[in-house]
Order: sequence, then C-alpha cells, then structure tokens
Amino acid sequence: MTNATKTGMIDFRGVNKWFGSLNVLKDITLSVEPREVVVVCGPSGSGKSTLIRCINGLEAIKDGDLVVDGQRLGDPATNMTQLRTEIGFVFQSFNLYPHKTALENVTLAPIHVRKIPRAEAEQAGRDLLAKVGLADKINAYPSQLSGGQQQRVAIARCLGMRPKIMLFDEPTSALDPEMISEVLDVMVAVAEEGMTMMVVTHEMGFARKVAQRVVFMDAGAIVESGTPEEFFSAPKTDRSRAFLSKILRH
Amino acid sequence: MLENFSFRTIIEYLPLFGQGLITTVWLSALSFAGALAVGIVLAAMNLQRGRLFRIAAKAYIDAVRATPLLAQLYFLYFGLPRLGLVLPELVVGIIALSLNSGAYVAEIIRAGILSIPRGQVEAGVASGMTYVQRMRLVILPQAFKVTIPPLLGQAIVLVKDSALLSLISVSELTRAGQLLASDRFMPAEGFITIAAFYLLLYYGLKGLAALSSRWLGLQPARSST
Ligand SMILES: Nc1ncnc2c1ncn2[C@@H]1O[C@H](COP(=O)(O)OP(=O)(O)OP(=O)(O)O)[C@@H](O)[C@H]1O
Ligand SMILES: [Mg+2]
Repeated sequence: MTNATKTGMIDFRGVNKWFGSLNVLKDITLSVEPREVVVVCGPSGSGKSTLIRCINGLEAIKDGDLVVDGQRLGDPATNMTQLRTEIGFVFQSFNLYPHKTALENVTLAPIHVRKIPRAEAEQAGRDLLAKVGLADKINAYPSQLSGGQQQRVAIARCLGMRPKIMLFDEPTSALDPEMISEVLDVMVAVAEEGMTMMVVTHEMGFARKVAQRVVFMDAGAIVESGTPEEFFSAPKTDRSRAFLSKILRH
Repeated sequence: MLENFSFRTIIEYLPLFGQGLITTVWLSALSFAGALAVGIVLAAMNLQRGRLFRIAAKAYIDAVRATPLLAQLYFLYFGLPRLGLVLPELVVGIIALSLNSGAYVAEIIRAGILSIPRGQVEAGVASGMTYVQRMRLVILPQAFKVTIPPLLGQAIVLVKDSALLSLISVSELTRAGQLLASDRFMPAEGFITIAAFYLLLYYGLKGLAALSSRWLGLQPARSST
C-alpha cells in the first residue's frame, strides 16, 4: 500500500514472540504470496503452531511486523475481527460446535458475522458439505461423525466464510490412519482452487503434491526453506536431515 | 408421644399450611429469578479482564459465603430502614434470598462457562465473532446445559433457606408450623407437618432436575449436587 516494499498475502518481518522468558519465535521473516501453498514442518515444540496462530491473532507478537492481506497486525487501524473473517483456521482437534449440526456449524459465522441471508448461507453450506463428501451428514451432530468427517466439516466451516487465506494446524495428526487421506484430498482440492494456504503438517505426500515451498522450523527459528523436492531429497542442514530421518522411519 | 399426636389439629390447620406452602413456593420462585439475575451479573463481572470488576464480584461472593444467611437477613431487615428504605417483610425476605443465592448461582454459572473447552472460544475467535457473538452463539448454549442440574440443586437449597423468613414474620410454610406450635402447644404436629411439605417440594424439584437432565441428554449421575 503506502509501503514501498512488495507485500505478500502474509508477511513476517523480523517477528519475535516470547512465552515468559521462552523465545518461541526468533526473528521470523517469511513472505507467502497469493495462491501460494506453504508447508511448515519441524520437531515438536519448534513453534509451528505459534507461527500460524500469530497470523490470525490467536497469539500476539512481541516485536517485528506481521502484515496480513495488506493490514499490519497490532496497528490501531487494523480491525482484527474483520481481518479474521478473511482467514480460515483448521485446528488439530477440529473444535466443531458440539451443539450444532454439521450444516449449522458451516452456516453459523456466515449468517451472524458475514450477515449473509440464512437461505443463501444454507444453500452455500449444503454445497460445501457436498463438496467435502458429506452431503448425507448435513443434519448430523459432531458426536455422530468420525474424526475424518469432523475435520472435513471444519474445513467446510472455514470455506463458508469465503476466506482469502486458510491456515491448517496439523489437521490430520489427531486422525486414525485410514481417515487421513479423505481429509488430505479435500485440502488438495482447496489448494488447487488457488487458495493461499499455510499448512503445518508432516504429510510429505501432500507437500509434494501441492506445496510450492516447505519451511522447516527448529527451536523457534526458520532453519531451512525450499521447494518440496529440494527439501525432501536434499535437506541442507543437520537438523533437517535428523528430522526427516525420524519422520521417514515410520 | 405418638399416642397424643393430634391429626385432627393438623387437619384443622391445613388451610393455614396450604397458604404457607403457596407463599413459600412463589416467594422461592421470585427469589430464584432474582438469584439468577444477580448470578449472571456477578459471573459476567468475574469473567471480565478488568481486575476491578473481578475483585468486586469475588469480594461480594466471599462475603455472602462466609456469613450466615440469618445474619444477612437481619442485616437487611434492620439495616434498610436505617437508610430510609422501609419495605414489607416479604420484600426484604425476597431481596435477602436473591442476594444470598445469587452468589452461589454466580459460581455455578462461572464454572459452567469455564467448563467449555478453550478450543470452542478459539473457533469462534478465528471465524471473526465478537465477544458477545461468541458468548451468545457458542459458549452460553453449551454452558446452559451443564448448569441446569446444579442450578436446580441450588433451588432446593433456596426453598429450605426460605424457612428463615419466618423469623421476620413472613407467613410462609415454617411460620404456619410455628403458629400451630405456639397457639396449641403442639410443636411435634407443627414441625412434622411442615417437614412433610418441604419433602414434597424437594421431590418436586428433584423430579424436575431428573427430567431436565434427561431432556438435555445429560448423564443422571452428573446431576447430583
Ligand atoms: N500458551 C503458552 N504458554 C507458554 N508456553 C507455550 C504456550 N504455547 C506454546 N508454548 C511453548 O512454546 C513452544 C512452541 O510451541 P508450539 O505449540 O508453537 O510448537 P509446535 O511446533 O506447534 O509443537 P507441536 O508439534 O508439539 O504442536 C513450546 O516450547 C511450547 O511449550
Ligand atoms: Mg503445534
């Protein structure tokens, strides 16, 4: 905007974050272009969740700049509630509303936050649930759905807001192995429609298929970044090699 | 003792007991509505980020829980007129019960809200809901279910506590028993009869609690208070 430097859809510039005395994000600089899919991986506790949770303000950053869709976070002029409607967030534990049906989960925010007329939101919700393969589960409650089905409802819930960005925090790691692919297939479809995505995952098949870039984090810092091909076949650092050998073993 | 237990006198006094029972029911109902209002406000204050609200709510709740209801009742009964506020005994009684029970209701509501997993709040936040929208659409409907059984437990306590209003001469159920006891020197008849009526109210409310648990699809075991 007024800024001379080129801004991506998501722009981290020298971002730091602390939990108490723990420096969980160390001088992060990372730019995600519109329609780009970036996979974030790294060992447990390396700060992956914190990184993407900062983007929609679920965590506040301490210093540095984080610009999302042209708006600087923490700037008084930035309406965070408004910005969040443009950012879908898929949680590891789904976090569906248990007192709402699948369709109601999808239409709740569009109706009350986006102020879309109910009939229109419901039609869109039905279409989205059909798209994620759950046309027959529209009136089911989350407790009546399998983990994979719940996560697909959660993705449809985000898409119902017509977001510009989708963030995924280990969307398949709480799932039984046989349900992982049904969720990944939906994510691939979303990526292929041109969504800007940041995905924390260790699913290398997914990364190879749709990611333009893999970012490897360790101890709060981005240690390595490259195309999936480069990263998986020729990791550059000892830490990424050690990490890959661990996740490849099973 | 039982050989001269006078059922006749009880039957003679039945209209008075009936009156007392009805008064106990509606004054308890009104007090419980008041307690809900007080409880909601206190719980909301308690969940605010602002420390001042929280401290005020906690101080109030502690003060109510630490002192006997009888002392609170007398405090209002003798204190309000000093402030120039002369109210009928019945009104003072209802205010006292509302303010007292409200403190317990506040804790029940707060616990209900806090029992909703953090992820629910985050899902609401992430979809761009405001605080009020999150509360209304996501948190309160879920918390409501959890709080119904303990709230009915509190209603049972309130009904029993309302007996203290007899001490400021409100003609409720216990007062009827006292009258029988003192007019005819028949304390056994008087107090056994009111005990039976309180038991009746207790089972009524317990039945309601069980019914609501089933209706809300909760485990009956969880409704015990
Ligand atoms: N709310 C919090 N308060 C204090 N420390 C936290 C908090 N959340 C995370 N941390 C710490 O910050 C560090 C980074 O956590 P984060 O959840 O971002 O890691 P992660 O890479 O997502 O790990 P995982 O693979 O286990 O999900 C960890 O050391 C964690 O213990
Ligand atoms: Mg994580």
